[in-house]
Amino acid sequence: MLRRLGMWLVVVLVVVGLAGPALAQKSVKIGVLTPLSPPGDASAGQFIVRGAKMGAEDINARGGVLGGRKIELVVEDDAGTPEKGVAGFRKLATQDQVVAVIGQFHSSVMGAVQTLAEQFEIPVFSTQASARGITEQHLNYTFRTHVIDPDRVQLWNRWIKQHGFKRVALITENTDYGVGLVEETKKQFKTMEVQAELKTIIFDRAVVDLTPQLLEIKNWHPDVLLNGGIGTPAYLIIKQAYDIGLFPVVPMLVSYDLPVRAEYWKNLGDKGNYLTYVVYYHPTMKLTARGEAFRKAYQEQFKEEPVYGAFNAYIQTVLLADALNAAKSDKGAALAQALLDNKFEGWNGTISFARGEGPYWQQWSPPILFTQYTKPEQPFADVKIIFPPELKTGDLVLAPKR
Amino acid sequence: MDLTLLVQYIVSGVVIGVIYSLMALGITFIYSIMKMINWSMGEFYMIGSYLQYVLIAALLGPERWYVALPLAMGTVFCLGLVTQRLLLRPMFVGGIERRDEYATIITIALMVFFRNLAIVLGGPNQYAPRDYASPRMLGPLPISGNRFVALIATLILLALFAVVIKRTWVGRALRGSAQNRVGIQTAGIDVLRLDMVAFGVGVALAAAAGALLAPDFLVYPENGAISTFKGFEIIVIGGLGSILGSIVGGVLLGVIEALGSVFLSAAYKDLYGFLLLLILLVFRPTGLFGERERTV
Repeated sequence: MLRRLGMWLVVVLVVVGLAGPALAQKSVKIGVLTPLSPPGDASAGQFIVRGAKMGAEDINARGGVLGGRKIELVVEDDAGTPEKGVAGFRKLATQDQVVAVIGQFHSSVMGAVQTLAEQFEIPVFSTQASARGITEQHLNYTFRTHVIDPDRVQLWNRWIKQHGFKRVALITENTDYGVGLVEETKKQFKTMEVQAELKTIIFDRAVVDLTPQLLEIKNWHPDVLLNGGIGTPAYLIIKQAYDIGLFPVVPMLVSYDLPVRAEYWKNLGDKGNYLTYVVYYHPTMKLTARGEAFRKAYQEQFKEEPVYGAFNAYIQTVLLADALNAAKSDKGAALAQALLDNKFEGWNGTISFARGEGPYWQQWSPPILFTQYTKPEQPFADVKIIFPPELKTGDLVLAPKR
Repeated sequence: MDLTLLVQYIVSGVVIGVIYSLMALGITFIYSIMKMINWSMGEFYMIGSYLQYVLIAALLGPERWYVALPLAMGTVFCLGLVTQRLLLRPMFVGGIERRDEYATIITIALMVFFRNLAIVLGGPNQYAPRDYASPRMLGPLPISGNRFVALIATLILLALFAVVIKRTWVGRALRGSAQNRVGIQTAGIDVLRLDMVAFGVGVALAAAAGALLAPDFLVYPENGAISTFKGFEIIVIGGLGSILGSIVGGVLLGVIEALGSVFLSAAYKDLYGFLLLLILLVFRPTGLFGERERTV
């Protein structure tokens, strides 16, 4: 009898002995919910995944989090649509049991999933979704390390004033981002006393032929055209504006950093020359040690300059690892509190999440710069910063008349 | 309103409408012969655009786009033949009772399959072949060289199609099949083979639209969705089964959308075509050139 009991005891001890460390080493899952197929900006999603993966690899190489647990990424495609975003978030929260979700790119999707983040008590990060409303709702589990549209609009209004543009056209898609840009620009034209006429056109995101709208703008004789398209529509606006003789005769500003991607010149050829565009990272910027290490590793791995989306996803992943260690827990509430209580090393400065007024709630903003291509096939590393004046390395170059 | 501007909008609408009618013609042609709706038409458009891009970028170079076009059409024609032979023929020989449902399921499955295959093979990114021609003026309208080429090529393809249908033996057989499938079998014509040809030609027309519009509307896995959508609108406006209806419907839709998006709001561009469609369905349920089906 005793012998039998002894055998059982040995079995139990072996099972516990094996399972114990295995349980202790259970990985910590971080969700990456981002557009990886159309109609979302799938290229942006791919860069975000690259950055997040490099972040997870870095942390795991340094021994993981919470005493040796590995970071495991679970990547989900939101296709840039709220319904797929919601389904993806539910899966990440319930099936995969992630501790946080990063990678949000489209404001409409972010707007849909942040309610779920509150419900499941899981921090969700906007990686490149910039609509004002995202942080203006003052939700406990919504964080952002990206610019907000009021700041973007304020900068382009300053640019418009500096150049004395008198007729400004803004064409955007009918998404939260696009509609938000129109509303914000109209509002700030008044508050900033911009002495210019503003014409706004909102188009359906699914439409591919924008010729009638661009003809309307051309016949309105604008001094500058602001392009608020995201992904394919942004390219279509540039191409079709060129074909009807609107651009580059009239300077065009693209509202985000799409033109820094290698695909830009492949898709547009010489038509892409003279484009001015918003960026949040420039190769001449001073980076933190963490940012510099990422940049070097990215260049080695992909043989190209990193783009901002990859930087931001990388930093959000390592920042979450820091917060997990600070919280000493993988529970959502503790993690959110740790994010609020601590400061983190970002890619170009220290990141902290204060609960400020309006949209400055749990929000950290990178710099916003305007750059311009001045010759075909120009590498991003060679472009000059043309705005704001305190950071500029060159001036706006107007295209010769065709 | 400046008259020149108004003419510009109308010409712009006509141009895009004519090009879309190529897609509608493909849908209506397949329907006429096989009495089925091909829901994967947009994916054949997409495949045409990818083939055109690959042929130009990897094989022929940007100057030989006009060689790539028939090659892309020919490849999609062959793909259509194979698809029809393997997946759609059982509709007519396998004793399937619910043919409409069968065709719907198969073509929707094809749509999902081709779209995902494109993502797997080419990634989700956009591509664009180099321009076929430089921008030019079409009357008062400044137009992309690609769209001008697409317009001319569409008109040539439509004319060729009309000649083949009206003047050749195959064309007469196809028309006969459209009128009475059983009747032409009694005349010794292999209807199943005609079905293959019809499906191949229909999807090749969609591929032509995709290849022609590739530099302007870009190449990506979902680029066929809009043109399919327009194609179905056009065939309902023009009349299901009517070739003339596809062309007139295409032009009407193009003009209505261009004018509506400028004079009303660009955010609801797709709505204007649907309004036209609803009005037509109320007053002329068979479409502009459609005929009421008579069965005994």
